[in-house]
Amino acid sequence: MDLPVDAAQMGVTRFGIGQPVSRKEDPKLLRGEGRYADDLNLPGQLHAVMVRSRHAHGRLLGIDTRAARAMPGVAAVLTAADLQAAGIGEMGGATAVRNRDGSPILRPRQLALCIDRVRYVGEPIACVIAATLAEARDAAEAVLADIDPLPAVTGARAATGPDAPQLHEVAPSNIALDFHYGDTAAVDAALASAAHVVRLTLINSRVVVCPMEPRSAIGEYDAAAERFTFRAGSQGVLWLRDSLASVFGLPVAKFRVLTGNVGGSFGMKIAAYPEYVCILQAARLLGRPVKWTDLRSESFLSDSHGRDHEMAATLALDAEGRFLALRLQGYGNLGAYLGNATTLPQTVNAVKNIQSVYATPVIEVASYSTFTNTSPVGAYRGAGRPEANYYMERLIEAASRQTGIDAIELRRRNHIRPEALPCDTAAGTRYDSGNFPAILDRALELADWDGFPARRAESRARGMLRGRGIGQYLEVTAPPSNEMGGIRFEPDGGVTIVTGTLDYGQGHASPFAQVLVETLGIPFERITILQGDSDELIAGGGTGGSKSIMASGAAIIEAGEKVIERGRQIAAHVLEAAVADIEFTTGPAGGRFTIAGTDRSIGIMDLAERLRAGITLPDDVPASLDVQHIHEHSPSAYPNGCHVAEVEVDPETGVVAVVRYVMANDFGVLINPMLVEGQTHGGVMQGIGQALLEATHYDADGQFLSGSFLDYALPRADHGPNFTFASLPSPARTNRLGAKGCGEAGCAGSLPAVMNALVDALAEFGVSHIDMPATPERVWQAIRGRAGSAGATPQRKGSGA
Amino acid sequence: MAKTHVSMTVNGQTVEGLVETRTLLVHFLRETLNLTGTHIGCETSHCGACTVDLDGQSVKSCTMFAVQAEGASIRTIEGMANADGTLHVLQEGFREMHGLQCGFCTPGMIVRAYRLLQENPNPTEAEIRMGISGNLCRCTGYQNIVAAIQYAAARLNAPAVQEHAA
Repeated sequence: MDLPVDAAQMGVTRFGIGQPVSRKEDPKLLRGEGRYADDLNLPGQLHAVMVRSRHAHGRLLGIDTRAARAMPGVAAVLTAADLQAAGIGEMGGATAVRNRDGSPILRPRQLALCIDRVRYVGEPIACVIAATLAEARDAAEAVLADIDPLPAVTGARAATGPDAPQLHEVAPSNIALDFHYGDTAAVDAALASAAHVVRLTLINSRVVVCPMEPRSAIGEYDAAAERFTFRAGSQGVLWLRDSLASVFGLPVAKFRVLTGNVGGSFGMKIAAYPEYVCILQAARLLGRPVKWTDLRSESFLSDSHGRDHEMAATLALDAEGRFLALRLQGYGNLGAYLGNATTLPQTVNAVKNIQSVYATPVIEVASYSTFTNTSPVGAYRGAGRPEANYYMERLIEAASRQTGIDAIELRRRNHIRPEALPCDTAAGTRYDSGNFPAILDRALELADWDGFPARRAESRARGMLRGRGIGQYLEVTAPPSNEMGGIRFEPDGGVTIVTGTLDYGQGHASPFAQVLVETLGIPFERITILQGDSDELIAGGGTGGSKSIMASGAAIIEAGEKVIERGRQIAAHVLEAAVADIEFTTGPAGGRFTIAGTDRSIGIMDLAERLRAGITLPDDVPASLDVQHIHEHSPSAYPNGCHVAEVEVDPETGVVAVVRYVMANDFGVLINPMLVEGQTHGGVMQGIGQALLEATHYDADGQFLSGSFLDYALPRADHGPNFTFASLPSPARTNRLGAKGCGEAGCAGSLPAVMNALVDALAEFGVSHIDMPATPERVWQAIRGRAGSAGATPQRKGSGA
Repeated sequence: MAKTHVSMTVNGQTVEGLVETRTLLVHFLRETLNLTGTHIGCETSHCGACTVDLDGQSVKSCTMFAVQAEGASIRTIEGMANADGTLHVLQEGFREMHGLQCGFCTPGMIVRAYRLLQENPNPTEAEIRMGISGNLCRCTGYQNIVAAIQYAAARLNAPAVQEHAA
């Protein structure tokens, strides 16, 4: 597809594309009238509480539930045996990533409740259902699990060691996937001929996702219809429905999944979790709705974690600093089981995103995805996109130090030039649009790059160290998927958009309505969005991978065109003209069907009203304007940008503060710039959190030591500066809106910008690398030469270098 | 378990109920009074999603027993709107400045900001950031929350005559 948008034609109306329209969701949310999963209670509902493993690894010798069953209010205590007796199968979804030999990924058995072995702290062992939450909690404490502890392993690389405990018999050396992409011989040859070879070992630290809303769900079963209804926060009800149906071994038609307001997710609420299976089975068994809500202290263990990769990154350069080859080799931590998106960051998304904005001719990515005695890892804001950009931008800074070529100049020499676009990359992607040198220039200008020495001197006068860092990035959004575009003209005069992407904080209703305003000229205030009901959808890929505005936007436009076609036929009848003579236009007066060359016309809302009032139409004319459409294969886009961070370090305490932050971004056409900017703010702050604050710790026994907001530092309001945002759009040519997707980009730019700035600040102490999270202790140690600086290993080759 | 009678004022209404002594204030608000705008984001006072205004102080209702609130006057997010039903200037500020995304922290954040502006009607940016640092938000990066509170402070400080002229 190659359909450039005409930006000049957009945004001419107040609620059209490009306007900072306030969110339709806000009035309810601001009044406390949101409907999050835990806000709902159903008549007759019971309450579930999970019994979880306190050991990271061990043989489960037995579960004694007798005392719990005898306690007040207890309706049932489910164990693995109960689930198996009910015919419930294994957890887990599909993943298309394959081993280097072409064989499929290894998927060990995972049941919703442990049957013979526990493999991480927090793994569900039993589910207690009682009349009240307090009774369920009391009874859960009376369940006795007899666990014989085994040695544990928590590091992805350590898990492959000869002495490492084995988690799953089917996975020797704990390896689930041996992934490889690229031409090893070509990379070897490039390294051999290179003037400079730069090597870094980079840890992409594990994070706990921590949306502010803990997971919560209610399961119901209609025995007469033999059908489940499941209510929970999610990122797409069809994904969740299909996963649940797979675990139960039932047709998807036997499940209805409903999602109301979602209090954040960032990738974490995609999956069908063990708790969901338990409460659905309990509802079927007991004939009553069963509700479950996680405590935050459980969430730290029971939610999928993010990131956790260890990579050796190698960049080969010629004498002029041009990139010749890039190699990434390492490990990705899966946790104890295989989740849906777990392998993406260290495999295909590493390949696609490490290419970034640079013309590196050959790349190679090789990684082992391994099982460890830790909470399962899932998608987290970017799922490999921020990681890969972090590796690349750290490599460039290290290369600058090693070659003596200025880091900005290095970037400029290697940018894919705008005149070279569209172009195919070594990653197998095809960049359609962008202006990477201009983005860098704009970011440097916003950052007042040249004014830095004065600011550093001022910091120095206060006894503070100051550093600056660049994070130029490019992301490849989600792979092609189908998306529904439904448009319904309601009896009350409203118009409903039905689509399968799901807003869990982004605020889809206004931008989607803006697209419909632009397409059909329907008044903004008449438009509502319907999401989160699997019975209403005929297709839908959910939200993830920064794709919703492209996927749902295109689906809405195409559906709108079908509405116009139907409308022309109906209007022709109403206006007593030939269909061929009916034109559709949008303008200040809204969408209108007009007989060409005349002033006879009817507005689209008036036409809908006439249909509602009842008119007799011939059989060959559509009876309504309503459309259910499926947009097919919404392609990936290539959002990119450049962030510049400045940090101040207190050398006495090791505390790092981000004191200046600017970004220039190319998200293509912005449908609603206010929301786009808000997305980047949140993404940047999550990146600052990972870079400086959010430390996860497992001890040698696999106990999780950072399991509360007291132990795990989420960024707070006094941790961030204000962020300066600029948009430098090169409209995407892969979708009809020209949009590029912005949800994950904040993390992709901020991880390298902040860490490069920190290394710059510490350069005078001989620090050439420090790993995330750069907590005060780690920084303090690095300043004192004790840790954290073992990164770059200079390897200068050739006589002229 | 034996129950205790409690009575308090919530959003200007006298309410009462029978609670277990272990019932948390947030559960009494959410489950008994059905005021679900006050959210539970943790159970350790760290996240602030459950913040309510109690006798002139910001209180995290997840770590207070309902019986401790006997006789207290409480304001929750449901009591923030103006008497005529329009949004309170803080709510308006959050909408205008895009100070919310998923909205889960928002009720606690607004109730906290309300007390902050009572304590300090003209706070600096740093004072706002420190003043809401007991409330976590994972979506916004806080910048627009700060801007929303500044918006409200400016409106509240503006002379009434200007307010009407605007």
